Amino acid sequence: MAQTRSAPAVRVGTIHVLPRPFGIGMALGGVASVAASFVGLLLDRSVALDEMVVLFVVGAVCVVGGLALGRVQSASSRITAPMAMSMLVAGWSGATLVALLAFALSGEFESIPSAFFEAVSATTTTGFTTVVDPQELTHAMRFLRVILPWLCGLGVLVAGMGVLPVAIAGIELSPSRGLARSEQLVTNTSAAIRNISGMYLLLTSLLLVGYLLGGMGLFDALSYSLSTASTGGMSNHAASLGHFESDFIDWVATFGMVAAGGSLVIVWAALRGAWSSVLHSTELRLYASLLLLGFLGVWLIGDELSITDAAFSVSSMLSTTGLRSGNWAAGGSFTQALLLIGAGVGAMTGSVGSGFRLARAARVALEVRRALRGLLYPHRVGVIRIDGVAADEVSLERTYGYLWAHLLTLTTIAVLVNVSSLNLMGTLTFSLSLISNVGIVISGDGIAAAVVLDRWSQAVAIIAMVLGRLSIYPVLVTIAGFTRWLGRFRPHRAIGGS
Amino acid sequence: MLRLERRSEHRSDGFSEPSKRIPSTVAHICGLALAVISPGLFISGIVELVGFGDGGITLLVCSLIFALVGGSLWYTTRLGDLAPRTVFAAVAWSWFLVSVMGALPFILTRTFQSGAATIWIEIADAIFESASGYTCTGSTVLTTLPDLNDPNPKVGQGVLFYRQLTQWYGGMGFVQLVVTVLPALGTRAMGFMGAEAPGPTADRLAPRAKDTAKLLWQVYIGATVLMAAGYVAAGMSIFDGIAHGLTTAATGGYSTYNDSLGEFDSVAIESVAIVAMLIGGSNFALHWIFLTRDRGVYAKDHEFRAYTAMVVAATVAVTAMLMIGGEVGGDFAASFRTAVFNVVSLGTSTGFGNAQGAGTAGDFVVWGAGPLIVILVLMTIGGMSGSTAGGVKVIRIRVIGAQVHRLVARSRQPRAVIPLRLGSDIVSEKIAHKVAVYGMAWLAMMVGGLLAVTALGAELEEALSAVVGSLGNMGPAFGSSGPTATFQAGFSTPARLVLAFLMIAGRLELIAVLLMFAAPRRSLRKIRPHKHTF
Repeated sequence: MAQTRSAPAVRVGTIHVLPRPFGIGMALGGVASVAASFVGLLLDRSVALDEMVVLFVVGAVCVVGGLALGRVQSASSRITAPMAMSMLVAGWSGATLVALLAFALSGEFESIPSAFFEAVSATTTTGFTTVVDPQELTHAMRFLRVILPWLCGLGVLVAGMGVLPVAIAGIELSPSRGLARSEQLVTNTSAAIRNISGMYLLLTSLLLVGYLLGGMGLFDALSYSLSTASTGGMSNHAASLGHFESDFIDWVATFGMVAAGGSLVIVWAALRGAWSSVLHSTELRLYASLLLLGFLGVWLIGDELSITDAAFSVSSMLSTTGLRSGNWAAGGSFTQALLLIGAGVGAMTGSVGSGFRLARAARVALEVRRALRGLLYPHRVGVIRIDGVAADEVSLERTYGYLWAHLLTLTTIAVLVNVSSLNLMGTLTFSLSLISNVGIVISGDGIAAAVVLDRWSQAVAIIAMVLGRLSIYPVLVTIAGFTRWLGRFRPHRAIGGS
Repeated sequence: MLRLERRSEHRSDGFSEPSKRIPSTVAHICGLALAVISPGLFISGIVELVGFGDGGITLLVCSLIFALVGGSLWYTTRLGDLAPRTVFAAVAWSWFLVSVMGALPFILTRTFQSGAATIWIEIADAIFESASGYTCTGSTVLTTLPDLNDPNPKVGQGVLFYRQLTQWYGGMGFVQLVVTVLPALGTRAMGFMGAEAPGPTADRLAPRAKDTAKLLWQVYIGATVLMAAGYVAAGMSIFDGIAHGLTTAATGGYSTYNDSLGEFDSVAIESVAIVAMLIGGSNFALHWIFLTRDRGVYAKDHEFRAYTAMVVAATVAVTAMLMIGGEVGGDFAASFRTAVFNVVSLGTSTGFGNAQGAGTAGDFVVWGAGPLIVILVLMTIGGMSGSTAGGVKVIRIRVIGAQVHRLVARSRQPRAVIPLRLGSDIVSEKIAHKVAVYGMAWLAMMVGGLLAVTALGAELEEALSAVVGSLGNMGPAFGSSGPTATFQAGFSTPARLVLAFLMIAGRLELIAVLLMFAAPRRSLRKIRPHKHTF
């Protein structure tokens, strides 16, 4: 009887799955660069034709190269959690590489490190800039600064909600928790890409119309709608939206920022008529409560801020967008504290916003309440319910671990970053703004998105923005995996022999 | 000596009958706490009389009031419910009561009298000073502290001595709390104190908690005497030596002078203070083991190693930053002296300053952002568990660090069983969870305190440092409330009362204070008549 011999198991490392997402990231960045070159061709042809050519060539090469890499198939059909996290990092790296090439070769930035800082700030949807007056940049470059965050935001949404949860069962924060299958935004990867893109485009379109109605020109309206929907916060003006001095525009932006910081999953469920699930969402309740309380606090207790400024500032910080209008620093220390705490907490899970995330904040608050109840009622078994569903202890433990990692990273960045023009609070807000991808500094002198950094601080800031956008775990896991992969090439020690 | 046992009265026939005293754990413990302070006030009164101050009789009267009120509460009540929540609440209420009643000597001697202040502001200031003392914090609103050669000091020596004694009592009470009360509550309560953590801990020195407390008090008193002798040998007067010895052993930080230890401008005194503060910020159990059993205990203890590494690393970092920033003129010796003193002072939650006036080298409010952030981190971490120091404690930070490390490791190997390790010891999941909860409660209280203090008018930088400092029982803040200033200018009276509450919360490790409101509410609900169900 002939024996059938099964094929030997092949150990496939993380490294084999990375070319595909890297290629997709490159292709997305390439599309942004090509789009910017067309915008430049329309609006800057007479002043910077060579820049348009550079952007087009870089974009086209990266699209072709990215698509070629995207066709590379992994040897493994099973994607593990570390692989998925590394894929996320790889995809973002591809887009950032293109952004770096485009910014550096355009000649608009004084040095390659400055171009790198701008590229990372754009692809992480942070919004910090080394450009004091963006009006000095060409239209193409301004458009590239807003289309890159928009595309990267879309990429993060699709990867975060469409690919990772499908690939990894039981991830820490699932925005679809408590929803019936018919109410869910993401049922499979293709549906995720279709639905998420559709809703993202819908929000951007609504904002575009709103800004146009508010009196903006088409270019500015398009730029700010992309910037608002992606929570990127990059502006075409030094004073950001404050340049227009229009309450209508500020309210349009406020609506856009609140929507962008909210969960697409919840919005989708609302559109499907699942109001019961929507209203029982713990995270949505917390988001609404913080927006309302923050608004009331800033308006009533803060000094000299109008209703518009109060609503705008709270939504800008909580959604981690970082658009500016008016001087919130004049609102007094309570306003500043409230806004900084809002920026630290961040947006909802399932949104393009960043920060610690409201879902995690809710878990932390519920855990403290459970501990206190445990002391009052020692024999009671406390269960933490999120969206009406009992949270498992392992995912709770991951949340606490993430909290400490987040705080540790924030503290390390604050110690390492050295900006001579900033005092203690300025440095702390800058660090918080980096890790939450907000993109503005609040200090005694006012609020700003442009910062003058030395090389060391630029490097620290770049790492901080990446850690904030991609979350700390994926970056650390990728570094650890890469180190392990490199370790394979080390000569092995002989054991037991001479 | 507090013993958590229910008392019964013995009859001559050998049978015991239930005590006629009112069963109230809270009142019983509060009475004891007040009575214990009476001898300190008596000594302060004598010191005031010897120094020809005006408040001698007032202090003696206060001593009598404390003895009467405390004694009455102690002898008319007995321990009732000994559930953890009740004992926690009792400890919290006793600290609260002592902080409020402890203000009485300041109020009656009109220590905070000034032209602009109403009697209510005087009372609020006195409560702040008292709370800051009994919680070993060291923040002050006393603007009339003398200089070294002041011919006409506005505050008498007895009052100053009582102010120093508040911190010494606070340290002693904390040792008692850690050793006697919390272990009596069982493991559930101990986890919050870090007492279950691996290594030599305060409750394991002797078989009985009573004996352990005695040993630790011996260490505490011995350390106080040694520190006072060290200060006198370094050049202080006997009064100053004893006064500073009391607050150094308690890691409190009150000084009898406006510029704190900077008033002396003496490297010898600062050196004694650095060593003394490090001793005060270390686990007292380690000192006892070192003196009696094992000379190598410090090197073996992982928390002590981490603590030392933290202090050394912070000193190196701050020295380098000060030299680069030029705040001390770029001179290495001056930068190192300033850095090591302030790092140790704030890393042990003591809060002494070595600045010889506002804007001088040791006045850290004029430093750049980098060293200030290092200082802020030290203020958050604090000293070792089992010491009189405040802050989150080094052991908890280590457990939290181990949790982060394990989570990253788990991300790579999701199915691996990875124990939580501190050095060669394994930490149980239960303790890790309690440490995590403590950290989250600390964070929540910090955020709440920051919002409250800024809403009451404080600047953001000062508010943040003061809230962190109050929760960690540090002392000075940044901005206009730095080491050479007081909390008068930077904070409104209501804001200072919020800070005083945070000091008590920080001293009692948060949970007790949170329970001081929850436990009585639950008791009241129990008293409510039940509905009959027929």
